[in-house]
Amino acid sequence: MSASATPSQRDASPPSRRSWGALALALPALVLLVVVIGYPLATIVLRSFAEPQWGLQNYGWFFSTPINLIVLQRTFAISAWVTVVCVICAYPFAYAMTAVGPKLGLLLTLCVLIPFWVSGVVRTLSWVILLQDSGVINSMLRSVGLDGVRLIRTQTGVVIGMAQVLLPFMVLPLYSVMKGIDLRLVQAARSLGAGPIRAFFTVYLPLSLPGIYAGAIIVFILALGFYITPALLGGPRSTMLSTLVQNQVLSLLQWGRGGAMGVVLLVATFVLLALAGPLMRQKHKQGTR
Amino acid sequence: MTILSSRLATISALAALGVAAATGAFAQEKPVAGAIAEGSLKGKTLTFASFGGIFQDGQIAALKEFVDKSGVKLLSDGPTEIAKVQAQVESKNVTWDVVDTADFPPYVHCGTLFQKLDFSKIDTSKIPQGQVSDCSVPAMNYGVVLMYNTEKYKDNPPKNWVDFFDTEKFPGVRGIDGSGDFTGGLLEQAFRATGGDPKAMTKDDIAKAVAKVRDLGGDTIYWKTGAESQQLAESGEADMLMMWTGRAMTAVKNGAKYTPAWQDWLVVMDQLTIPVGAKDPDASHALINAYLGKSAQETLTKETSYTPINSEAKPVVDDTVAAFLTNTPERQGQGYQQNIKFWVENFKAASEQWSAMMAGG
Repeated sequence: MSASATPSQRDASPPSRRSWGALALALPALVLLVVVIGYPLATIVLRSFAEPQWGLQNYGWFFSTPINLIVLQRTFAISAWVTVVCVICAYPFAYAMTAVGPKLGLLLTLCVLIPFWVSGVVRTLSWVILLQDSGVINSMLRSVGLDGVRLIRTQTGVVIGMAQVLLPFMVLPLYSVMKGIDLRLVQAARSLGAGPIRAFFTVYLPLSLPGIYAGAIIVFILALGFYITPALLGGPRSTMLSTLVQNQVLSLLQWGRGGAMGVVLLVATFVLLALAGPLMRQKHKQGTR
Repeated sequence: MTILSSRLATISALAALGVAAATGAFAQEKPVAGAIAEGSLKGKTLTFASFGGIFQDGQIAALKEFVDKSGVKLLSDGPTEIAKVQAQVESKNVTWDVVDTADFPPYVHCGTLFQKLDFSKIDTSKIPQGQVSDCSVPAMNYGVVLMYNTEKYKDNPPKNWVDFFDTEKFPGVRGIDGSGDFTGGLLEQAFRATGGDPKAMTKDDIAKAVAKVRDLGGDTIYWKTGAESQQLAESGEADMLMMWTGRAMTAVKNGAKYTPAWQDWLVVMDQLTIPVGAKDPDASHALINAYLGKSAQETLTKETSYTPINSEAKPVVDDTVAAFLTNTPERQGQGYQQNIKFWVENFKAASEQWSAMMAGG
């Protein structure tokens, strides 16, 4: 009961109690994750090895069928393009959100969120109307003498449509990071003789990188699983892996093969993230230094 | 008290026997399409799964008399996916009592996912020839028809699918059903366009047929939904379109400058099936038998514009709808029936080659 014992006790016990308490708070979400993601995922992985017989047959089939590899590569390429387009479009927009006054800022936030509330299918169908050969964009291009630009049923069309659907996932993380950047740092750089471009690239951009990384990862991963948009805006040359999974599972009832395709996509994504992770951290450190 | 209750028990037992005898007698009679036993399904619930939209609304409307008379509570669910049927059957928890499917599934999964139907409970005598299988009856008839742009091919219109596949004589953008599985009839016609005889088609010929479709070129549009095909016609995006008659009719009604080339239109249907392990097969059979009735089929056609499958049905429809019905003698003569047996046997090979082509392979 000495005075010195009390603080050490206080130090020793509450943190662990606090962490258990924190875990309890996360319990509903954890249960939900295990039930609606963990269990089905485990079933799919299991079926990819167990159907129709135990073994690696489904993976053997996946890697020995050329179209699967073409489409897998294409899925990653399209997702990468969508991520790049999202960064380019979202960055200035998110900056504008932090730079304007509160009223305009609210308006810009709504501009990002309102399309978010409309179903993806509806938005994709609006893109069909805009992008089709006889659509608004093409008739505008025609009036300035550009004829026969094919937008719909091309990868370009798919990337445009997907980027629009995924844009909020890039804008919001960027905005939350940019909001926290102290603009006086940029002013300090300017006062020390840096031009606006240099101040941006050496001070502001590095500070905003965490937002780019967070947004890019979310957009890229969501893009990998896209189904409706490539199906409606794309043609055969922009089919993504989800469509092939759909054919195996829904038409042929080959759950094993469909599962193997899902597992390949999942593992490939993990590998890519594992490779990109250290790179991002390193760059980030350089940036803050 | 005890005497009274035992008497009551006797009376109710006798009554129950009487009901059982009556229903027994009813079941032994030859079924009549559209006949519904009054109050026979009181307190029961049936779930009907189909493809949604106007079509399913029309089916539910066609079943209204069945619901009113039998006292059944009818639930509507969907859209139909064979994977969902499989999941229900495998988990032994079948919630769909009657399922409307596309052409092939009742043939491919007969006895495994769909049960053999008891034709002592279903009257098939009014159904067009050759459309009843062990595990299915048709839900309606329609056609896959070649629609062409009348302004593009003024004096030299395509006449059949061989012309559809001839891009030299008939230049222009083609639109093809890419909504799901391959259409057997189209592949047979593609094989015919290569100079082959569809009736003698072998498994190896599937690749030739698929290649012929691929050869239509990079401009070819594979539409994903019926609505999209209709939109392609109304906006003039494609010059020749493979379309479902229902959508073709609506496009023409909306002013699309397209007209059908009826020669060799592809006969297709939806199927009614009962999953293996359905809770109350007798009630499911009763629903199907009611659905096939004359007045139910007339309602179906009025609501959906699809062709009825009861030969006595005489729906009152406007001229445009009538022009796209496929049960007139003239249309029956022009129709092309795909070789269902062949496609069921080679379903996997054809489906894989088709989906590889659809994925740009």
